[in-house]
Amino acid sequence: MNRFTLICAALVFLLAGSVSAQDVLFRNATVLTITDGDLENTDVLVSGGIITEIGSNIRAPRGITEVDATGKYLMPGIIDAHSHIALSSVNEGSSPVTAEVSMEDVVNPYHLGIYRALAGGVTTSHTMHGSANVIGGQNETIKHRFGTKDPDVVRFEGAPRTIKFALGENPTRVHGNRGSGGTGAIVPATRMGVEQVLRGSFENGKRYMEAWDAYTAEAVTNPRAVPPAYNNRLEVMADILRGDVLVHCHSYRADEILMLTRVLNDYGVRKITFQHANEAFKVAPELAAYGAYASVFADWWSYKFEVYYSTSYNAAILMRNGVVTSINSDSGELNRHLYHEAAKSQRYGGLTDAEALSMITINPAIQLGIQDRVGSIEIGKDGDLALFDGHPLSVYAIPAMTFVDGIKYFDRFEDADDMRLQISPTAEIGAFEGQITGRDHIHDETEVLDFFELFGEDILTTIDSQ
Amino acid sequence: MRSFQAKRSCLLFFGAILLITGLRPTSVHAQKDSADIPTVSTTYAIEGARIVQAPGRVIDSGTIVFRDGVIESVGRRATVPYDAIIIDGSGMTVYAGFIDAFSRVGVATPERTSMPPVANTSNPTYERAGITPEKQVRTLLNPSDKSVDAHRKLGFTTVHTVPHGNMLPGSGAVALLHGKNADAMIIRNDVSMAFQFTGSRGVYPGTPMGIMAKFRQLHKESSRRLHLEQMYASDPAGMSRPPADIVHTAFFPVIADEKPVFAHTTNALEVYRALTLKTELGLTMVLTGLSEGFDTIDKIKTSGNPVALTMGLPDKPKWAAEIKSDSLNQILSSYTDETRTATFRDVEAEKRNLEAKQLVTRQKYVEMPKMYAKAGIPFAFTSYGVDSKDISVNLKSFVEGGLSSDAALAALTINAANLLGLSASMGSLDTGKMANVIVTTGALFEDDTTIKYVFVDGHKFEYDTKTKKDDAPSSRRRGQ
Repeated sequence: MNRFTLICAALVFLLAGSVSAQDVLFRNATVLTITDGDLENTDVLVSGGIITEIGSNIRAPRGITEVDATGKYLMPGIIDAHSHIALSSVNEGSSPVTAEVSMEDVVNPYHLGIYRALAGGVTTSHTMHGSANVIGGQNETIKHRFGTKDPDVVRFEGAPRTIKFALGENPTRVHGNRGSGGTGAIVPATRMGVEQVLRGSFENGKRYMEAWDAYTAEAVTNPRAVPPAYNNRLEVMADILRGDVLVHCHSYRADEILMLTRVLNDYGVRKITFQHANEAFKVAPELAAYGAYASVFADWWSYKFEVYYSTSYNAAILMRNGVVTSINSDSGELNRHLYHEAAKSQRYGGLTDAEALSMITINPAIQLGIQDRVGSIEIGKDGDLALFDGHPLSVYAIPAMTFVDGIKYFDRFEDADDMRLQISPTAEIGAFEGQITGRDHIHDETEVLDFFELFGEDILTTIDSQ
Repeated sequence: MRSFQAKRSCLLFFGAILLITGLRPTSVHAQKDSADIPTVSTTYAIEGARIVQAPGRVIDSGTIVFRDGVIESVGRRATVPYDAIIIDGSGMTVYAGFIDAFSRVGVATPERTSMPPVANTSNPTYERAGITPEKQVRTLLNPSDKSVDAHRKLGFTTVHTVPHGNMLPGSGAVALLHGKNADAMIIRNDVSMAFQFTGSRGVYPGTPMGIMAKFRQLHKESSRRLHLEQMYASDPAGMSRPPADIVHTAFFPVIADEKPVFAHTTNALEVYRALTLKTELGLTMVLTGLSEGFDTIDKIKTSGNPVALTMGLPDKPKWAAEIKSDSLNQILSSYTDETRTATFRDVEAEKRNLEAKQLVTRQKYVEMPKMYAKAGIPFAFTSYGVDSKDISVNLKSFVEGGLSSDAALAALTINAANLLGLSASMGSLDTGKMANVIVTTGALFEDDTTIKYVFVDGHKFEYDTKTKKDDAPSSRRRGQ
C-alpha cells in the first residue's frame, strides 16, 4: 500500500515535470514594471515564486498555468505601508513607551482583511502597533498568503524590523489627559512632553547599550563580571540606535516632524518614515535633506484638530522635493482601492503614471526595506503581482487576480461569497462578527476596548489610526 | 447488599476478637486519630465486577482488593482477605480514578472586587498586573470547597490544581480529592508554573503582545539573577548582593528546568504564542486548553509538546439550542461548500447554509479530541475554566463525536498520569498502585451510566445512582 502510494506520488511528480504551485506564465500583458517603464504585449514568467523571465513569446515550461492577460495590466503587488489588518491586538496603551511589544507576536492569519486587501491588488501590508504610545510596539511586515492558519506563514521572511512612534494628540490624550477613574495623568501631557519621552528613552537606551557593551568586553577576561539588569524595552531602544530597527512615526504637524528629525539626528538614527505627515509638505526640503521618507493619505483629514491643515497636494509636493513618498491606507477599507488613492496625486499635483504608481509599490517597499524583493516587476524579484482589467490609475480599473509568490490568492471570477477561515461557533447568524482589527477609525481588539473602559474615556474612535 | 451486610457482621465479630487479643490488623492504623471513630476496615474487595484495569485491558468478571490505599490484588480470582469490606460488584464496572491534568479544583473562586485605580498604569504592582508566580496553591486549597465533591462525583480522584489569577496565577500542586487539609490532599507540591494570556485590565501588560513581552522580560532577567545568585553563593567577596524579589525567584526552578510551565490557551493563536515562548526561552511546557486546537494539530504534532485538551465546549448558538440531533445531522449534511449562489435571490437559503456552516464549525470542537487521537497525539483532559456540571455531558459528546471510549478513558487516566509524572502510582488498576478507583453502573460515557463509588486513596465515597427524570443531562454544553 505504502509502496503503491509512493509510486503514484512519483508518477504525479514526473508528469508534472518541474512545475510547482508557484509557477505561472502571464501572456501578452501590458506590464507596468515601475522601475523600467511600461512594456506592451509582454509575457512574464514566474518560476518557484520568483520572476525569472520578462519578454515576448516566452517558451512555456510543460504543464505551467498560463494566464491570458491580453488587454490587461500587470503590475507589482501593491504594498500598504500603514495597516492594522491581521492583528489580535493593536495598542498596548498602558504605557507611553512599549518598544518591547511586537506585532510579530499577535499576527492573526485568519483575518478576513487579508483577503479583502488581496481583492484590491495588495500583496504586502506593514501591520502596525497603534498610536496610543510615544514609542509603541514593533510592527510586522506580512505577505497576504491568505488561507493559512499559521501566523508564521504570512510573515514577510527577512523583512527588516520596524517600530511605531507617535507624536501629538494621541499619546498626549491617552497618557497625559487621563483624569477620570482616578488614574493620574503621566508624561506626556503636551507636545514638549512627547519630545522628552523620546529623548529620555533614547538616552536610557544608549546607556543600556553602553552598559552591556562594557560588560561584554569585561566578560572576556573576567569570569566574575556582573551583567547589567536585563530590560527588553531598552534592548529595543538600543537596537534602534544601532540602526537595526526602522522608525515609522505617526505624525501630523510640521513642527513635530522637525522635532523628531532633530531628536533622531542627536542620536544618529537615520532611518525614518513619517506616517500620515499631513503637514510634511511644509518641510519637504528638510525631510529630503535628512533622507526621511513620508507615507501619507491622498486626501484624508479633519478628523481631529491637528489634522485640519492639510492638502491633497501633499504627496506630489513631497515627491517633487525628492522625498521617497508612499500612499497608505491605515484602513481595512481604503486598502482595497489604494490604486485610486495613488491616482488622486495625478489630479492634485499632476504626477506621472510611473510616479503615482511608485507610491503604492516601490516607494513603500523602500520604506519597509524590502525593495530588493518586491515593489517592481524585475527578474529576480518575488512573483507578487496584481492583474487589472484596466489601467490601475483609471477609475474603471478592476483588480482581476492577485498573486503572491506566484500563487493565485484572489480571482474575481472564483471569489466565493464566504471566505472566512474562522467561524464563531456561538454567534448569531447575521451578527457582526468581530473583524476586530483593520477597520476604519477603530483599530482595537476587544481586550483593548476593555482596557480603556477602565479609564472611562471614549478614546476608541480616534485612538489608533489617524 | 445482603452479602455485604453479612460479611460486615462477620468482620465485626472477628474484629472484636482481634481487638481483645491485641492482634489488630495493621490497616486500622491508617486513619489514626483518637478523636475519630475508627474505620471498621480500610481494606476493600470488589467482587464479581467488570474491571477495566486500563483502556483495552478488561477482566469481564473479577475481584479487586485494596488495602490502606494500595491495590493489593486484581484479577479473575483474587484472594479476598478476611478483613475486607466486600462490595458486590455484579453488574458494576470498575475503572481507575480520573486525573484532571490542569484545574482550579479545591480553590475557592475569588470574589470579584473592583480594582483600585492605579496611579501609573505602566508600572503597576505585580499583584495588580496578575503576576503572582510565587503564589502556592497549597495555601489556598480547601478540602471542603464545593468543587472538590463536585469533581469527585464525576469520577476524579486526583487533580493538578493551580490558583486563580491572570497572567501568572501561581504554582500548582497535584492533590487527591480527599484529605483533612491541603497538606493531606497534596501528593506533590510546587510542580508547575501556571501561565495564561489573560491581561490585567487597564495596566501593563494588558494585551497578548504585552504578555509575551513581559514573560520574556521576567524570564531573561530571572536567568541573569539566577546566574548572579550562583556566583554570590560560591564566592560573595567583592560582589554586590544580587537583587531579589519573589517573582523573579519563582522563575528559578523554571529556568533550571525543574518545573514545567503549564500554558493555558483558549484559541489556536495562543497555542502558537505559547510555543514561540517555549522555543525562544527553552521552556519545558505543557499546553492546556487548546480550544480551537483542531487548527493546530500539525503544529502540536511536530513540536511533540504534551497537551491536555479542554473538557469544555462552546455554547450552542441560540438558534441551534433546541435542535434535536436527528435534524442536526440533516442540517450538517445539507451544508455545501458551493457558495457562489446569487444569494440576494434567496436569502433564506444563504442563511440556512451559514447556519450549517456554523454547526460544521461547532462540530470541529466536538471532534477535536478524536482528531488528536487520530493524529496519534497522546492527550490528557483539563477542566480549567470549565463548569463541572458540563464535564460528563461534554465527555459523552466527544465520544459521540468519534473519540473511542478507550481513548477518552486513557485521556482521563493513564495519559494524565504520564503527563504529570504519576504513572508509577496512578492511572491504571494494577497491583501496587494507589487505590484510586471508581465503580460505575455500566460502561463509561453512556447515558444511563452513573458512578456509585469513588475511592480516593482507598477512602470510599458513595453516590446516589438513582436517575431522576429532571436530573437527566441537559442539552446545555458550555464553558472552555
